[in-house]
Amino acid sequence: MSDTYAVNLDDVSKSFGAFKALNGVTLRVRQGEIYGLLGPNGAGKTTLIRLICGLLEAQAGKVTVLGQKMPNVSVLRHIGYMTQQAALYPAISVEENVSFFAAINGAEEGVREALELVQLWDRRGSVVATLSGGMRQRCSLACALVHKPELLLLDEPTVGIDPQLRVQFWDYFRRLAAAGTTLVVSSHVMDEADRCQRLGLIQYGRLLAEGSPADIRAQGGSRNLEDAFLALAGSKGS
Amino acid sequence: MSGHRVRAITRRLLQGFRRDRRTLALLFVAPIVILGLLGYLMRGSTSAPSVGIVNEDTGPLGAAVADSLRHSTRITTSDVSAADADARLRDGSLVAYIRFPPDFTQQSQGGNVAPEVHLEGSQPGEDTPVIQALQQSMISLASQVTGRTVRFAPRIEYLYGGSSYDTLDYFGAAFVGLIVFFLVFVITIVSFLNERSQGTLERLMASPLRRGEIVLGYMLGFTVLALVQAVEVLVFALAVLKIQNHGSVFLIFGMEALMAIAAVNLGIFLSMFARSEFQAVQFIPLVIVPQFLLSGIIFPVSSEPKALQYVSDVLPLTYAVNGMRDIMVKGADLGSPGLQLDAAVVAAFAILLIAAGSATLRRRLA
Repeated sequence: MSDTYAVNLDDVSKSFGAFKALNGVTLRVRQGEIYGLLGPNGAGKTTLIRLICGLLEAQAGKVTVLGQKMPNVSVLRHIGYMTQQAALYPAISVEENVSFFAAINGAEEGVREALELVQLWDRRGSVVATLSGGMRQRCSLACALVHKPELLLLDEPTVGIDPQLRVQFWDYFRRLAAAGTTLVVSSHVMDEADRCQRLGLIQYGRLLAEGSPADIRAQGGSRNLEDAFLALAGSKGS
Repeated sequence: MSGHRVRAITRRLLQGFRRDRRTLALLFVAPIVILGLLGYLMRGSTSAPSVGIVNEDTGPLGAAVADSLRHSTRITTSDVSAADADARLRDGSLVAYIRFPPDFTQQSQGGNVAPEVHLEGSQPGEDTPVIQALQQSMISLASQVTGRTVRFAPRIEYLYGGSSYDTLDYFGAAFVGLIVFFLVFVITIVSFLNERSQGTLERLMASPLRRGEIVLGYMLGFTVLALVQAVEVLVFALAVLKIQNHGSVFLIFGMEALMAIAAVNLGIFLSMFARSEFQAVQFIPLVIVPQFLLSGIIFPVSSEPKALQYVSDVLPLTYAVNGMRDIMVKGADLGSPGLQLDAAVVAAFAILLIAAGSATLRRRLA
């Protein structure tokens, strides 16, 4: 059954020394959906994403991505990963950055399409160091999706960008999902949660609740997602 | 001017150092290490260079001087035949030999002594103790044996180099290679560290790139830069500074290329152990300076204290410097076993570091 899920985490735990970053997390992302990973800073979101793309290995439990047990190098070709900070080469141009990530994934033909999607085609010749924060973030997104990955992992993609650009980003995400891409988006901003098809709430390395935004509201007994989250966090935390 | 604000800056600075144990250690350990090494190099029981003695004198003076030389602390002597002497000079087992001609005693009767001093000559520092030891033995003995003052006029012949060589000719060969090695090392270590700190390395690790591909790609990129630099340095050294060269320009370039590749890989490997550019630069006094002192550029390896000679023998730069001198001063070609060894050691070092660089890449990411 696991092949119907793009991502399947089964009772996964990961510790760094004495610190338990993830503690028995079971979570499933369906193919073609936008899955929101919600939780406060330090909840374990980044650790979870790093486990999915094989940068870390779980100490217990099983991580399956696109039908393959992770870590597995052959799956990486089908994954796009946008790190929390806009990880780019500042001394070269926008197009040179995107072309580089296209080349290491063997997808040189996708550069123009990716740059047009994030509306940077006109700025393709600009050196990254001269760009504004928002443009860097867009360039970083283009680098993550230039090889048309089946699974796109976005670690807090909208942190530090203005509301206008945030709306734009979610527009990109919906278009990608409509084209069949699975997206895992982490965030600590609750108003983004409503834009996801399903959510996983994590805190202190545990999955508090999982379901559609409506499910979460029902579980938390509140019409407001933020209140629902706090209610769920409180009941599990005690 | 507010003393309070100035103090705030000073305090903040010291607070940072308190937590950066490595920088602190470097600040207080490195000077002791470097000065200690220098002191040991210059004052430690410096081993005496091997000098051969060819005594063909029919009179008593040659044997007397030879005996006196045998007791000299500046040199270690051994008796050799005239036939062997040149070959042993060439294979490096002697740094010099002294020949007393058959009419040596007779010459001294005439007031002039002219022993022949044959020097290997590829390293300037090695000549001094030989001449000094000979002079000391001669002056006291010649007057004792002959009962009158004699003029000491040794005939000095060089196997390599010689009186047409100035200091730059001797050091230039080594420095041509060293400049490339040093600059390439610094550039590589800093830019590989950038890859880590700007987060792009994490992206690369989440891509289908293999570790070996990253290291190899880096190596090629910097090697291209280094080769262009090597050409520039070489042209400047030979055409503008007119450093004497008896070997093939292509061989020099080849040796420079090997050194550049070794430097790139050393940079990648060591960047795994630095968290900031600041820490990366600290590798210079720790890794580069001791190698520089022990590589034989300034102090010939054969005159180092025995213990340091063992260290010099395992440092790659020693072989690189030796190789450059073999080519430029001695005119060695690829058929020379000495040059083959030098090139092989530098190449093996580069390969070892490629492997070490790839192996340490993953570990430091998590």
